[in-house]
Amino acid sequence: MSDAAINQYKADLRSMEFTLYEHLKVQEVFTEDYFSHLSREECDQIIEQTARFADEYIGPLNGPADRAGCTIVDGQVITPEGFKAAWSKLYELGVPNFAVPLEHGGFQGPSSVGSVLHELLSGANCSFNMYPSLTLGAMDLVATFCKGKVRETFLEPMMDGRFGGTMCLSESQAGSDVGSATTKAVKIEDNRYKISGTKCWISAGDHDLGENIVHLVLARVEGAPAGTKGISLFVVPKYRVNDDGSVGESNDVQTVSIEHKLGIKASSTAVLAFGENDNCEGFLVGGEENSGMKQMFQMMNSARIIVGIQGLAAASSAYLNALAYARDRKQGSSVKAFKDPNAPRVAIIEHSDVRRMLMEMKARVEGMRSLVVKLSKHQDLSLALAEKDPDTANYHKGQVDLLTPIVKAYCSDQGFRVCELAVQVYGGAGYVQDNPVEQYLRDSKIFSIYEGTNHIQALDLVVRKLRGRKGQDLVDFTSNMTEFIQTNANDPGIGAEVRALGAAAQGLQEAGASIMEYMMSGKLDQLTLCATPFLEAMSEITVGHLLLEAALIAEECRTQNDDQSQEDFDFYAGRVMSAKFFANFILPTVHAKVAAIKSADRSALDIPDRGFSTAW
Amino acid sequence: MKILVAIKRVPDAETTIKVNPEGTGIVNAGVKWVVNPFCEIAIEEALKIKETKGDVEVVLVTVGRSESQEQLRTGLAMGADRAILVTAENLDTTGVSRVLAKIVEKESPDVVFLGKQAIDDDSNEVGQMLAQRLGWAQACYISEFNMADDAKSAQVVREIDGGMRTDKVMLPAIITADLRLNEPRYASLPGIMKARKKPLEEIDGASLGVDLEPKIIIKSMAPPPARAAGRLVESVDELINALKNEAKVL
Ligand SMILES: Cc1cc2nc3c(=O)[nH]c(=O)nc-3n(C[C@H](O)[C@H](O)[C@H](O)COP(=O)(O)OP(=O)(O)OC[C@H]3O[C@@H](n4cnc5c(N)ncnc54)[C@H](O)[C@@H]3O)c2cc1C
Repeated sequence: MSDAAINQYKADLRSMEFTLYEHLKVQEVFTEDYFSHLSREECDQIIEQTARFADEYIGPLNGPADRAGCTIVDGQVITPEGFKAAWSKLYELGVPNFAVPLEHGGFQGPSSVGSVLHELLSGANCSFNMYPSLTLGAMDLVATFCKGKVRETFLEPMMDGRFGGTMCLSESQAGSDVGSATTKAVKIEDNRYKISGTKCWISAGDHDLGENIVHLVLARVEGAPAGTKGISLFVVPKYRVNDDGSVGESNDVQTVSIEHKLGIKASSTAVLAFGENDNCEGFLVGGEENSGMKQMFQMMNSARIIVGIQGLAAASSAYLNALAYARDRKQGSSVKAFKDPNAPRVAIIEHSDVRRMLMEMKARVEGMRSLVVKLSKHQDLSLALAEKDPDTANYHKGQVDLLTPIVKAYCSDQGFRVCELAVQVYGGAGYVQDNPVEQYLRDSKIFSIYEGTNHIQALDLVVRKLRGRKGQDLVDFTSNMTEFIQTNANDPGIGAEVRALGAAAQGLQEAGASIMEYMMSGKLDQLTLCATPFLEAMSEITVGHLLLEAALIAEECRTQNDDQSQEDFDFYAGRVMSAKFFANFILPTVHAKVAAIKSADRSALDIPDRGFSTAW
Repeated sequence: MKILVAIKRVPDAETTIKVNPEGTGIVNAGVKWVVNPFCEIAIEEALKIKETKGDVEVVLVTVGRSESQEQLRTGLAMGADRAILVTAENLDTTGVSRVLAKIVEKESPDVVFLGKQAIDDDSNEVGQMLAQRLGWAQACYISEFNMADDAKSAQVVREIDGGMRTDKVMLPAIITADLRLNEPRYASLPGIMKARKKPLEEIDGASLGVDLEPKIIIKSMAPPPARAAGRLVESVDELINALKNEAKVL
């Protein structure tokens, strides 16, 4: 094992370009006033510069930083070597503020392009990218809800990277159940409160990358109603800020400890004690008590999408590394020469089962990326059309809401599973630290847990999002899919696969009917039992739709463009094949999930607790 | 003060290059194009001078197809002030240096920076030819550049065979950048946004009244032969035999 800084991150810029511009036609957003200060040309340059930063600065740090981890010295967290320089460079480039609105001082770039920037940064170094991502989320809240002095004091330094940011929801007894947080806020005067309590699991909770850290803390004002309705949001800096903007004395926020984790080891996860000495001041966000959950949701929605991108990013580099290894590693002979012991050794990519794994990874990575870009384009259009055409904007906003739990849960689960397949492709070499995939596997497990576990996402989908805008969001989603299936069911190239999608979509409708039935008849335990399989089935269908849509476009490019390179020809052929593979090897699993949901089987519910094991 | 930087659009070093079936050139489709890395270094040096001296205009120029705009925009995004694209195709170094000499006459810069060579053809000629045509001093392969306070001369360190050589060069002069001169900056987001509004003038090469006819004719182009796969030998004897009789190195 060597700690020499070599970059093992691999990105497929051609594939990203296809998804953005050929498949989902993100360039359409530049014709809207909101984005008209930009064009594809600048966005391509920004993608290129970000890819270069990923390869030159943070990619090489990924392995060494994982081994070094974060340390804590005299209550101060020290990040691994190289992070500080990378942080300064990143803010000099300005990438974190790409999608921030102009009125807040950002570049107001489309999120669809922004999603690719996130993928590049997170794929190259997930741990590192936690720090700017959390800063961005916290900054967004300050920009949206804070006014006057608080905004003046904190916004600009958070955009420059002088101050970092965090989101402090979790406490030891308040994880999935955020509403049971007990951190206390006592009013001093105006918007100033005294804060006391202990927050756990705080990502980027302490570090040495900037001069100060701005915590966005959920706390309960004395006498507030129980549950999420009594939660307020506060801006709580690590150090107080003087009137001239310089960083002043401690604000009584202490880093008690940092966690020792399975993955993302270079991202500090801190236990923070606020107001141990009764001297911690916070500023109420938005000037109104008990609005904290609503405000925090603004940040959580974008954070959930970013977590989905984290899954995609790890999976993509894991896939590309496994692919490179499979082309290089020689083992065994071709199955066609099974009788000849002297047959030449072949690269493992020639073995059918390795191809199966690579194909599954390829299809899933492409599917996740198109899902993320699809959602992001809806988001761009909902912003761009908000004033001009509110109805259409609402349609797009509805699709964002519906797709958010799917992006978060599906991409995080599948991200991890693709990394697991990558390890399998490598064999023993995948299990050791010489190759990057074991780290991707460890790093990617957290994605299904934080920002609301994936089951919380599934509940959000079945209980809330399926009924968004009185069910209109789901109707819109379904009619887009139905139209696609009807139009293309007899396509000469992929008609059979489109029909397979149709059959799976039919199954999903039946599963949806069962879910509704459980809800209406009050069988809430049955409903929640089926939420996760339902989300999984709906995700596979959404992705299947996008992959087949992309395949039609790829097929057209492949057959109609005479002036193309062999690479392009192979690229388009590859897109058609991965879509077909997905439809034939993966979509059928939807039927199994549908059957499980419809079965109304109660064994998992009725088994006596001791029946799980009488030994323990 | 005005600094002119001549840059070239070249295939990215990591792009796979294919020779076209006629053997007359490379296949352009599917190639990723970038600013020649030595030219990037030249731009960076000009920008550094601008940063330290203040009142400096950095003008970029390239000769090529209209797609070369992309590379000019990259340079503008790094911080150059304006750009000139001279459209012309299939020039050789004699033609390029003639065009650049015209542009220098028009712009009268105080110093001209170029990359020492472009990584596509590796000619390493344009800077020297340009100096000759203008009758200016030249300092090529420089790894250090220090302009005198009065801007009348510069002290440069040049990379020469087996060492470094420090020279004083009177300005105006032609300077070509070597690898170690500096580390070019990235184009930042604000830079990229601003580049959009910076002036980019397009001049038809044919309108300049210079001889664009190539003097170097490419007769044929072929990729280097593919390296044969290695093989494992059974014994030392076999190895020695192979080195003697096949590789003929012993
Ligand atoms: C590395 C890391 C970084 C983190 N960063 C942050 C951060 O920056 N800020 C922050 O505030 N928090 C952060 N967290 C906390 C994270 O959001 C929580 O761990 C997560 O929300 C789950 O809460 P929990 O760990 O208490 O698990 P629990 O809530 O105890 O959940 C345990 C299991 O029970 C299930 N479960 C819980 N409640 C229900 C229910 N009502 N119905 C069905 N199933 C349920 C869950 O799905 C899960 O499978 C981080 C955690 C980690 C590990």
